[in-house]
Amino acid sequence: MRFITMDVKKCVVCRNCEYACAFRQSGNFRREDSNIRVEYHNDVKICLPQTCLHCEDAWCLEICPAAAIVKDEDTGAIEIVSERCIGCKMCMLACPFGNIHFDKINMVSRKCNLCKGDPNCVAHCISGALQYTTVQDSCLNNREIFHRFIESILDINTE
Amino acid sequence: MCDNRCGINVFVENGSIVEITGLKEHKWNNGRLCVKGRLGVDLVNAPDRILTPLKRTESGWQEIGLEQAYDEIAEKIKTIQSRWGERAMSVWKGEALGFLTQEALYRRFIHAVGSPNYFSNDSGCYVGRWMGYAIVTGDWATQDFLYSKCAIIWASNPPYSQPNLTQSIFKGREKDGKLIVIDVRLSAIARQADEFVQILPGTDGALALGIARQLIEDDTIDHSFIDNHSVGFIEYSLYVREFTPERVEKETGVAAARVVSLAREIGGRRPKVSIYAGNGLEQHENGINNIRAIACLDGLLGNFDHQGGNFNAEKPKFRDLTLYSEKPLRHLGPIGADKYPVLYDVRQECHTMTAMDTLLTEKPYPLKGMILAGANPVLTNPNSGKVVKALKALDLFVVRDLFMTETAELADYVLPAATFLENSEFHCHPIHQTISLSKKIVSFQGCDTEFIFLKKLAEKLGKGEYFPWKDAEELNRWMLQGTGIKYEEVLAHPEGLEYAPRRYQKYKEEGLPTKSRKFEFVSEYLRDCGYSYLPEYIAPAYVRSPNPEYPFVMVTGARKVFYTHGRNRNFKRCITAIPHAEIEIHPSDAETLGIGTGDMVTVTSVVGSINIPVKVVGNSEILPGVTQVTHGWRESNINLIIPDDRNDPVDGFPLMKAVEVKIEPMVKHETENE
Repeated sequence: MRFITMDVKKCVVCRNCEYACAFRQSGNFRREDSNIRVEYHNDVKICLPQTCLHCEDAWCLEICPAAAIVKDEDTGAIEIVSERCIGCKMCMLACPFGNIHFDKINMVSRKCNLCKGDPNCVAHCISGALQYTTVQDSCLNNREIFHRFIESILDINTE
Repeated sequence: MCDNRCGINVFVENGSIVEITGLKEHKWNNGRLCVKGRLGVDLVNAPDRILTPLKRTESGWQEIGLEQAYDEIAEKIKTIQSRWGERAMSVWKGEALGFLTQEALYRRFIHAVGSPNYFSNDSGCYVGRWMGYAIVTGDWATQDFLYSKCAIIWASNPPYSQPNLTQSIFKGREKDGKLIVIDVRLSAIARQADEFVQILPGTDGALALGIARQLIEDDTIDHSFIDNHSVGFIEYSLYVREFTPERVEKETGVAAARVVSLAREIGGRRPKVSIYAGNGLEQHENGINNIRAIACLDGLLGNFDHQGGNFNAEKPKFRDLTLYSEKPLRHLGPIGADKYPVLYDVRQECHTMTAMDTLLTEKPYPLKGMILAGANPVLTNPNSGKVVKALKALDLFVVRDLFMTETAELADYVLPAATFLENSEFHCHPIHQTISLSKKIVSFQGCDTEFIFLKKLAEKLGKGEYFPWKDAEELNRWMLQGTGIKYEEVLAHPEGLEYAPRRYQKYKEEGLPTKSRKFEFVSEYLRDCGYSYLPEYIAPAYVRSPNPEYPFVMVTGARKVFYTHGRNRNFKRCITAIPHAEIEIHPSDAETLGIGTGDMVTVTSVVGSINIPVKVVGNSEILPGVTQVTHGWRESNINLIIPDDRNDPVDGFPLMKAVEVKIEPMVKHETENE
């Protein structure tokens, strides 16, 4: 199963992901419609993209009294079925990362559904901070980066 | 639509474009796309697109047929040229419609009809950097960020202006690379910098010369390159001695110790140092020499044309569409070429600021007609009030555009144009040395491409022999003749066809493409033209002779994520997100002025005043005393107060990024309280 990884060393808070997601949800560029949020702390220059991690053991899904949160078996996405959502906000309280938000117009909870396996936020992430990848690949990638870093400080030129 | 030229997939349903996504196989954007790219859908389908030719009459705009419009325009051109001479006609190329072929076609057309007067946005953007580098190295370098150990982004914000550079900068940094950002503002890219160097506007040359001095003193320079492949090192090294860390601190606001540590960081990582020089460097009175000073660092670091450094990409050798060798018209006095000969001789650009004077004074000769394609100088050229007056003075002003822009409103004829998705033209990516051909996806009745328009008009003017190709395909095939690149092969590679494998250190066999065939720390050519031999530093006027009446220094033109210069403001979803212009002010200045975000202020320069809402930015985002305003807004058009007569003496670029202003809370008129 793939999920969206976020590299805080590559995010520049350009907000292309937020606008792209907002566009997918509402056809507009209203950032509050976006399921991905990018926090920026100007004083310490911390850039923090945040979106649903699609937990294996998803508390939001467990707690939903309307059974409106389901797992897509193809993509592994934990999704909200808006038609079933009663707007009780239990899922928002249950999510330890705050990755669910409330749509005040339709009175339902909203969250990332991985765009059926082709997340729009990743496609519009121009810095490469967001990747749609598996845990294994993400791990391999980190290992590779670390390996090259070691090579580099030891001045082993492999090119 | 944007010069970044990503590989894209365009989806069509029932004959209409419904979606644009990034092309995964394209090496440049790797399937990714900024939101501007997706806006291509809005561009093509915009409800306010001009689809019928409009003619100005006393009772307003009148819709007329395309053939009639072309006939009338041709007749008026003939009248102007027979009365005032052939050079009284001109063209002005913008960036809203097409790319390189469009530029070449306009150059070809105007020469075909006997005038040298080709104008474009390039006399205020890009060409300054190109020239600064070309004087030193013969070309504008391409950055090899993927293999770089030290990426320096100097006065640029790639996430907004060149989104795809961002991916390669970060990919390169993964391997113990360093990212150094030198800028007036803490831009998006600066948020991730390992070193963010905040500098006073227009003082970049002093910092570059100071870094050079330190590199030489530390002997972290490439002697072999300097000895074998450069000229003028001795004079240059004597000149840079003046730029001690203490002097640099005084000039630039960058602490002396920081200058030293910066030079050591860069010197320690040579030759894998890539420097990208941004637009923030060129709209200054000493822009060219500041850029030369930065370009000279490539000679010291040995990163010139080196892997992981700044390399000179090879370009495909298209057949030349322009007529500069076939039909040179230099003797007719291209507008601005007497004042800025280097701009004309190196880039064949006429000077748009001088054009405004010519239109108003008829000096040195009358300029009476203009065809302007996809440009909006009323918002993008300095001194907008004068631009409006000057363009109104034209006997014939034809504007080709997709929308009724502020400039189109002044035209005698507004002609519908085609977007990039309604045309087929070549795109090159020098960084990968690849070429691709965009496809014509849709077409709209009556919206000719620039090629078809120029061909039809040339035929009506009896110059049809210059446009013998029947359509874009024939033209594109002609351009490839003799290049060894096959048309069919380009078509088969939408992700880009490599036209030449990348080679480094080509100068070892071929020399550099400069006059001396060497890296020029000093320029004989500029000296012969009466300019400084060395990349001389002259402090900006606001530092040299501060005017207490205008205590702030204003930078303009920082990019926003949705907008490309003056464009995209007619797309509702963009306006919802970034609704208006604003002046960025440091919190301490805001406090002194007693203003907060959203308040209106009056900003005044020697040229005039505008009213604009305030945005108080974070403490580290801008220096106290410095402000920034993004251009391209109809309301609060900042170019209304930018001077058009304070130009860099070499390339003629206008001062837009260090303008002295005063800021006052806006006086509320009585009527507002009623």
